[in-house]
Amino acid sequence: MNVSAQTGANKIHRINITPYLFILPAFLFFFIFILLPVLNTFRYSFFDWTGFSDEVFVGIKNYQELLKDQTFLTGLLNNLKFILFFTFLPIIIALVLTALLSRRNLWGRNIFRVSFFLSYVMPMVVVGVVWRWIYNPVFGPLNTSLKSMGLASLAKPWLGDFSLAFIAVGIIATWVQYGYCLTLFMAGVQRIDESLYDAAKVDGANEWYQLLHVTIPGIRSEISVALVTTFIAALRVFDLIFVTTRGGPGSETIVTSLWLYTNAFQINRVGYAAAIAVVQTAIILLISYFLLNRSRGQEEGD
Amino acid sequence: MKIATTKSLSPFYSRILNLIGILAVYFILLIFFITTVVPFLTIAVAGFKTSIELVQGAFTLPKLWLFENYINAWQQAHFNWYFRNSVIVAVPVVVISMILSIMSGYAFALMKFNLNKLLFGIFLLGIMVPQEAYIIPLYYLLVDLGLNDTYFAMILPQIAMSVCFGTFWMRGFFAAMPRDLIDASRVDGCNVWQVLWKVLVPNAWVAISTMCVLFFIWTWNDFMIALVNTSSDTLRTLPLGLAFFQGRHTANVPFISAGATIVALPTIIVYLLFQRQFTRGVTSGTLHGQ
Amino acid sequence: MNIRKLLNFVLVFVFVIGVVSCTPAAPVEPAAPVEPAAPAAPAKPAPAAEVTTLKVWDNFVRPAETAIMEELIKNFEADHPNVKIVREAKSMDDLKATLALALKSDDSPDVAMINQGESDMGAFAKASLLTPMNAYAEKFGWYEKFPQSLVRLNSWSADGSKMGEGNFYGIPIQAELIGVYYRKDVFEQNGLQVPTTFAEFEAAIATLKTKGITPIIFGNLDGWPAIHTFSEIQNVMLGSREWYDNFMFTTGTVNFDIPENLKAAQTLKKWAEDGTFMANFAGVGYDDAYQLFSAGEGAMLLTGSWLSGDLAASPFIENIGFFVLPPDEKAGYKLTVGGTGFAFGISAKSKNPDLAAEYINYLYSEKTAQDMLAAGFLPVYPLENVEISDGLLADIVAGWNMLNTTDSVGYYMDWVTPTMYDTITASLQELMGGKISPEEFIAKVNDDYVKGLEAKGIK
Repeated sequence: MNVSAQTGANKIHRINITPYLFILPAFLFFFIFILLPVLNTFRYSFFDWTGFSDEVFVGIKNYQELLKDQTFLTGLLNNLKFILFFTFLPIIIALVLTALLSRRNLWGRNIFRVSFFLSYVMPMVVVGVVWRWIYNPVFGPLNTSLKSMGLASLAKPWLGDFSLAFIAVGIIATWVQYGYCLTLFMAGVQRIDESLYDAAKVDGANEWYQLLHVTIPGIRSEISVALVTTFIAALRVFDLIFVTTRGGPGSETIVTSLWLYTNAFQINRVGYAAAIAVVQTAIILLISYFLLNRSRGQEEGD
Repeated sequence: MKIATTKSLSPFYSRILNLIGILAVYFILLIFFITTVVPFLTIAVAGFKTSIELVQGAFTLPKLWLFENYINAWQQAHFNWYFRNSVIVAVPVVVISMILSIMSGYAFALMKFNLNKLLFGIFLLGIMVPQEAYIIPLYYLLVDLGLNDTYFAMILPQIAMSVCFGTFWMRGFFAAMPRDLIDASRVDGCNVWQVLWKVLVPNAWVAISTMCVLFFIWTWNDFMIALVNTSSDTLRTLPLGLAFFQGRHTANVPFISAGATIVALPTIIVYLLFQRQFTRGVTSGTLHGQ
Repeated sequence: MNIRKLLNFVLVFVFVIGVVSCTPAAPVEPAAPVEPAAPAAPAKPAPAAEVTTLKVWDNFVRPAETAIMEELIKNFEADHPNVKIVREAKSMDDLKATLALALKSDDSPDVAMINQGESDMGAFAKASLLTPMNAYAEKFGWYEKFPQSLVRLNSWSADGSKMGEGNFYGIPIQAELIGVYYRKDVFEQNGLQVPTTFAEFEAAIATLKTKGITPIIFGNLDGWPAIHTFSEIQNVMLGSREWYDNFMFTTGTVNFDIPENLKAAQTLKKWAEDGTFMANFAGVGYDDAYQLFSAGEGAMLLTGSWLSGDLAASPFIENIGFFVLPPDEKAGYKLTVGGTGFAFGISAKSKNPDLAAEYINYLYSEKTAQDMLAAGFLPVYPLENVEISDGLLADIVAGWNMLNTTDSVGYYMDWVTPTMYDTITASLQELMGGKISPEEFIAKVNDDYVKGLEAKGIK
């Protein structure tokens, strides 16, 4: 095709620097303000450091300790469990809503779209305040409604309940994330060719069929972006836990980022925190790489 | 070939099914609508209440609509300053990140070069690393550059973070665009730069607006970077201002609610303003219908 | 073209914001009930030859607290014409996260509020980030006016390893103690008096339960309120201060595994399960809990004196009193959890340590203490013969004075090791939730303590 033919031709004669020029400005920012500090973090993970006093080299001691650290391992497990609430549920909900919102004769489409996005727009502090209120066992709307419906036995101390806290927090995560996924998908839907839908309708296809066989394949790249970013969000979650349960009750909702924060800012173990960061990033890298390769494979087979 | 269809039923039944279908659609939409709007409205209303009224009822209206909390937040709590600062930080971040992401996304999507996969992978690293991980070295870096406690301390790192997602996002979008547009323009003699700005971007406005809205939200709501990299009150941004109402032992919830509403409103307004771009007719692909 | 539209939009937006933010940055209107004649503009420092700037960080972020600080700064600047105070107020979490980095930088604040304990003051002392204030204490006579037990809590050995001796690093000005807020009218209606022994206290609880009134309003979603509740029960069981002194100052002669602590854990568990606390307390936040009490629920609230200002908004305020949890009858003595807010200290990088010390002297003075009291805050500074019209505050001040005269100011046990806060909040939640037994609870906490001792090289 033309583009590659042209650049291909250029490549034969001289090294093509055009792509690098396009990427350079972005890369520069990234390199200075993210990559360099990250490399420093990697270096810190081999030290014992409070963040403001002298560093003490300890080799891989931090990592050895990490492997046996119950808090870290529990946190990691929770991160993985959160994937259900950060990724799968929001994406499914967003797909359904995308299909519904794309109908031609829908009244109030814009109102709905704005409202669905509201949950993502709010700063986490606000989300925490809102949901702590919703889950409040004494005067929150959830329990108040349950009690008025005669289901008082179901009125639990949600965020403080050992069996339910995790799910309660998970639901908040889904509530926040689906608006984000929806926005991504709606952007992608714009790009789908109308004629594909017409062809399907001519064949008598109903909504479900259109959703499964036209919409979803058409927004594959947006779905993959959503998949990767929500996966990462599940593994990186911090704000949400910080403003709701801070890891409690007990360690039911502890996550790796929270443990990182505690080590870096409260216990003054920056070196150890750095080790947590490195392991966390490595895991995220592995999963994302796997996900991206799979979706890239699908894309190229397009 | 017949696929699942309702055509085979009698007109009466098919109309009933249609009706049920439509009702189901609105029902589902309404449920989700309620779950997002009601909590937000409650917070906005809570900003008008006193602390005692909050515990007295979930859905009650305040006896006196105290604008006090809102006014206090704006003036006494310096929310006017913080608002200005949040804007001063957010606007450059969004504009610059947008331009840079478009450029790099384009390169990764449509140009063939040896380091494509590798460099792209490195960019993705930027999305994967949690902020807490590099915030301390970042702080020291800014100190060394003499930039800490300035607007740059908040703007520059945010650009870096936005650009990682932006590259990822635009790359995906550009890669999925129909090739005929590009080919046609190359035939017309456009060079690489023109192809991007004259052909691709006008057709990618939906994706770009989406990205800008996200950049805005993430920057507007950022807490950590602003907290660690600045210490002067004059530079403080809104989320930091909100955190103020959570004192050592207690939190002033109505105050927080008023403040929270002030913080959340601009993002909603930005979304509203930008989302008209979402629905503008684009050359290829419009909304499909029944 | 669309880009132009975007730029237009951006320009309009920025313009609007500029106009909107152009309300002149009004100085904080002091909402202080103290001085009725609030000046419109801050006192401008006299344009003298040389202006020295003093940077101060504190965490008095609430409006009433800020008012006191602003007033103080005004007075200080009036007395020191060539000095300008630049003050930054930061919330507690902010302060904790940013102070360490700031103290290390060249831009360090001169005076800052520092949390006591190993992770903060101790760590800073170890890293030589603070200026010892012993000389200033002598000069300004602080030792006379400052309770000895508090001096110990704010002192660290030069290498930052031992609390309680060596260099004196900070003066806190706000005091606090844990006690019981109670509804006088509810007590009266049910024939109850303020208990003078722990047994009477438990009897009162039993009576209230039979009447269907929640004895103690309590919310432990945040995790830390339970620390105070547990410690108070602990103090009753201990009946003396010796164990706690050794525990907190890590002398190595005691650990957590003693029968009194086990009894305390068992009692707490009992209260959690038998309806002494309100239902579903595990899911109620600290703020919600005290708001419920303020709105009229329950009979008692076991928490800190810092709430007195907030409770003033309660419709039942005339009927709210405060008493210190009484000791066991036989022992006749108990510590009471209490102490102070963060301490004001001087950065090692300050270029004006003498001036900083003078500022701190202003903070810790009779005038400031009186202002604080008038605004509803409990000062550390011992005030004699003060008339307090506010009944609740009078109770609290009486309690604080009693603690000082009987030398029974206790401790926040979460300071004792860097990890103790996390360990004990989680373990208490598990204990009260029935997930671990009292014995397991003791073991967990002891584990943490012993590890902390080992880390210091003490066995």
